[in-house]
Amino acid sequence: MTVETPSDNALHFPDGIPGFPGLTRFALVEVVEDGAFQLLQSLEDENVAMVVCVPWLFFPDYAPELGPDDQEALGLERPEDAIVFCPVTLEPESRSVHVNLLGPFVVNRQTLVGRQVVLADSEYPVRATVDLGAA
Amino acid sequence: MLILTRKEGESIRIGHDVVITVVEVRGNQVRIGVDAPRSVQVHRAEVYDQVVEQNRTAVQSFDRSAEILRTQVPPKSP
Repeated sequence: MTVETPSDNALHFPDGIPGFPGLTRFALVEVVEDGAFQLLQSLEDENVAMVVCVPWLFFPDYAPELGPDDQEALGLERPEDAIVFCPVTLEPESRSVHVNLLGPFVVNRQTLVGRQVVLADSEYPVRATVDLGAA
Repeated sequence: MLILTRKEGESIRIGHDVVITVVEVRGNQVRIGVDAPRSVQVHRAEVYDQVVEQNRTAVQSFDRSAEILRTQVPPKSP
């Protein structure tokens, strides 16, 4: 499963993202072809990018529930219109990654408008650990 | 920081369209109502701050992380 957004199609985050409120245009870039991880790259500041992944690759039971405010802000009417990916931080020494399941990015596939939602009423952790296994 | 004293049922207006209301005061807990447009994201600060912190960590390490993933993690077959 990969994110089906061509990297030349800019994603628009009108509210910015937490910690980087002024940046609104991003692209999803493949780290490796057909890989599990992408790069969410700011198109306005080349120094701002983060690794992201589709959460269900590692957490098949993940079921983020968007509140009405988020649905309305994104113009989302059907779940299948949502592209979901989560911030990733890497622990190179331990060969594990941390996936932020509390704050997924959700993008409307039709409009390419997105926001980072905060699932405050969920029990999802901000750092869920994935063991990448031996090299 | 601006500090205002309010009683139960009283409000503070922020800008044109955000209203904060003190709904109930009970012991050391205060219930607060927030009336804001849907474009304004409202979160408990400690939860939002966790997401900010994790985003900053992810951005600070992205180049090293991407390089490690590129060279050490094989492509994942669907």
